[in-house]
This record gives sequence, structure tokens and C-alpha cells, in this order.
Amino acid sequence: MENDDKFLQEFRRDPPAGYARRLRETLREQEEGAPARAWRPLLAAAAALIAVVAALFAFPAVRAGAQSLLDLFRVRSFVAVPFDGARMDKLRALDRDHAAMMIFDHKDVLQEPGPPVVQSSLAAAAGPAGFSVAAPAYLPAGLALDTVAVSREGRARLSVSASRLRDLLAALDLNDVEVPAGLDGQQIAVHTLPVVIQSYRSDRHRLSLIQARSPEISLPTGVDLPRLGEIGLRILGLDASEARRIAASLDWRSTLLVPVPTNASSFRSVTVRGNPGLLITTTKPDGAGADRRRAGTVVLWTEGERVFALRGTLDPEDVMQVAESVR
Amino acid sequence: MTAEDALFARMETRSIPAAAVDWDAVYVQQLPGIYNFFRYRVGDGPVAEDLTSITFEKAWRARARYRRDLAGFSTWLLAIARNVAVDHYRAARPQLPLEAAASVTTGSTPEDVAVRRSDLDRLGALLATLAGRDRELVALKYGVGLTNRAIAGITGLSESNVGTLLHRVVQDLRARW
Repeated sequence: MENDDKFLQEFRRDPPAGYARRLRETLREQEEGAPARAWRPLLAAAAALIAVVAALFAFPAVRAGAQSLLDLFRVRSFVAVPFDGARMDKLRALDRDHAAMMIFDHKDVLQEPGPPVVQSSLAAAAGPAGFSVAAPAYLPAGLALDTVAVSREGRARLSVSASRLRDLLAALDLNDVEVPAGLDGQQIAVHTLPVVIQSYRSDRHRLSLIQARSPEISLPTGVDLPRLGEIGLRILGLDASEARRIAASLDWRSTLLVPVPTNASSFRSVTVRGNPGLLITTTKPDGAGADRRRAGTVVLWTEGERVFALRGTLDPEDVMQVAESVR
Repeated sequence: MTAEDALFARMETRSIPAAAVDWDAVYVQQLPGIYNFFRYRVGDGPVAEDLTSITFEKAWRARARYRRDLAGFSTWLLAIARNVAVDHYRAARPQLPLEAAASVTTGSTPEDVAVRRSDLDRLGALLATLAGRDRELVALKYGVGLTNRAIAGITGLSESNVGTLLHRVVQDLRARW
């Protein structure tokens, strides 16, 4: 049977690259270890910022002044920084897989955390986590614990590439930002501690509670942290004056900046169990495809030595009520 | 029990630990076929993207329960896609009214059509006039790229029946192209 079907064959098309990338990110949230990535769009940006700032901290001129002492970054509080989502798209496009690696040229994994391991219960998760796992005492009707998993400790050392940073600045048309001399080859150490991921599910909603002791980033001390943070903020797309103003107002050793896309989210400071936190509501962005259903609420807070993130498709009020019940 | 639950319930228990699977590779391999299945099945554009997303998200949610060999994964994914398409047509009005198809075949010179519509639009409009089963066969054949034998295995039709039906559909489309 001979079908003259060329016109049908030519209807076939490759999926649009942007759509394919967004869908892949959505699916990663479901993969092993990916419950922690439920808030990936926000934290990927934060991680990129931290990496940029941390890399800039490794400036040898300041190391001389700091002698051999190390400064240590730990998350104690959160600050939202509104930014244009198009900038993050551009950063992702520049380095699709590892945005934070775009200024590093070498990574030594000293301790591989491996994928999160599903545990039989919250009590069972306490062992590998190294702490008693907190859980919500209140859940909206229908939601029930689906899985609990623990990601283990990891250590890595990253080597800064000045040329990559220059390329990045050039690609972003940040021609007025100077790369500090002597930056190339400087190293920072990243220590991630066990992370516990609880996933709750109902017919209509999903909720994830992530908790861990703060990751630690070791870097040379004595630097002009606000100045270096300012460069990181410029990379995120803030204009020079705004970047300078924000950079000067923060404690860069303990504040995790959470970039919030201006076109798809809103945020406000909140108090969770008496501790300062940040509530981000992600609205449905314009556009087609996988993004259409990505609306939800994230609340971030610290309590003692622990960092919490609660993310769900619930209303902000319900998410806050659940957060207040975590103990 | 949903159609997907029924599918999962039929899965065998032999085989590959989920952690050992390169999901990046699976995704890259499977996405074009599923995406094009929906383009032929429901039309080009955001609806095809949305249904593709729904299919993959359903499959990924249950992939830990998927214990068969990976060669069977595409068949399983396709079964989910077919159910998603059926649900879509149950829940929604047809994306293109029949009157739109009429404009492809009547009242316009080829030159007018060429000016007004791209080939993609024209073929999309023609596909929208097909009966559900015929359109699914076209989607499986040209969107996914399956052989008639594979289509027969999925649809329950005989291989010769698949060939005959496809021949008839393609000739009909060709005549109106």
C-alpha cells in the first residue's frame, strides 16, 4: 500500500525548547530527591546569588587581611528581592543545568549526598537526619503524609573562574561591573547537612515540608561584603542604585536572599511560631504549557538551628496555619 | 479506580530500581513522540503542550511503581496519553468548529488559502474533521512514529485493519489537501 503521506509527516515538530525545559523542571520535582526542589525556581535563583557572592568573597587581596580565618555563611533570616523573571530565564539559558556553576570551573565532591532515601516513617527519618523530625500537628482536611525522605550530608569544594564571571557579566551587558583581580582559582567550601522532605497529598492539593540545619558556605573573611553582594544583585538584574542600597542594608553572613519574580509572585514578611519568616505567593504566570499550573504558596522560616520551607498549592492562610502547627 | 490506576495495577513487578533509571534520557527520548501525538490528536499549540505535561506528570508521579523494562515505558506512557486525550475530549468542546474545516475545502482558491493559513493550520483543520478513532490512528502513526503492528498492539485492531484504515484516512486527507 503506497500512501502519499509526506504532507502528514511534515506536520511533525520538535517540542519548543523553553516548554521542554520547563516541563523537565516540573518533573524533577517528582523524582527522587526532588521534593526538595518543589521550591526550586526560587531557591535556584537564591543559590545562584549565594554562589556568586560567595565566589566573590574568595578575593585574595582580602584574604591577606583576614589571615587564615574563615567566614561562615549560615541562613538565619530571609529577605525577598523582587527581580525580573526574564533575567533568571536568561541565566538559565546561559547555563541550563547548573546556574550556580557558571562562575566555577571545577567542583570537587568530597562527600556525595546521593539521592534522598525514602523512610518508612517520620520516626525512622530521625536517624539519618540526625535530629528529631518536626511535623505539622494540623493539616487541612484530606491531606495526609505521602512520603518522607532524607537527603544525606554532602561536602564540595568549588573553584572560581574569573573568566567565566567576565563572560557572564558580558552576556548580561553589565559592562560597568568590574571583576575583582586575583579571583581566579579561589576556592569556597559548601557543606550541606541532612535534609528531611515530607510530602503530603490529597486529591486536590500537595504540600511539602522541608527542614534541615542550615547549609554552610566557608569563605575568606574580611571582605567588603556589601560591595560583593551588590555585584551579585546586579547579576540578578537589579539596577546599580537599587543593588547598592539593598547590599548595604543586609547582614550577608546570615541572610538568604530569595529572588522573587515580579511578574508571577508576591511576598510579605511573616512570623512563624514567633520567628521571622517570608511568605511568597506564586501566581499563575501568563504563557502556555507547564507553567500554567504552577501556582502556590511558600513560607520560609528559621527556628533555632533549623531552616524550614513549607510549600503547597493551598491558600496562603492555610499554609500559614500548617506552618504554625509544625513542632 | 481511574484509568491510570488500572494501568498501574497491571504493571509487572520485575526489574529496574527507579533510582537506576536515567530519567533525563527517558524524558528526552519520549517527549517528542508524546508531544506530537497530541499535536496530531488535538491540534497544534498550547493545548497539545498542556496535555503533554499532564501525561508526563501522571507518568512521573507513578514511575516508582513502574517495574517493567524500560522498553515498555513508552507503551505505558502512550497508554496514559491516550487516556488523557479521551478525558480532554470528554471535558472540552472540540477545539475547532466544523465550519472552520469547511473553509479549507470550499470557497477559497489555493492562493487564498496559502495567504491566509500556513500548512500547519490547514492540516490541523483537516485533522479536526476526522472521527476520533481515525485521528488517533494518524496521531500514533505520524505523531509517535509507530509501525502498523505496534499500533495494532496498542489499539486492539488487527494489523491489516490498521493498514486499511490508515490508507483510507490518508487518501481522504490527501484529496482535500
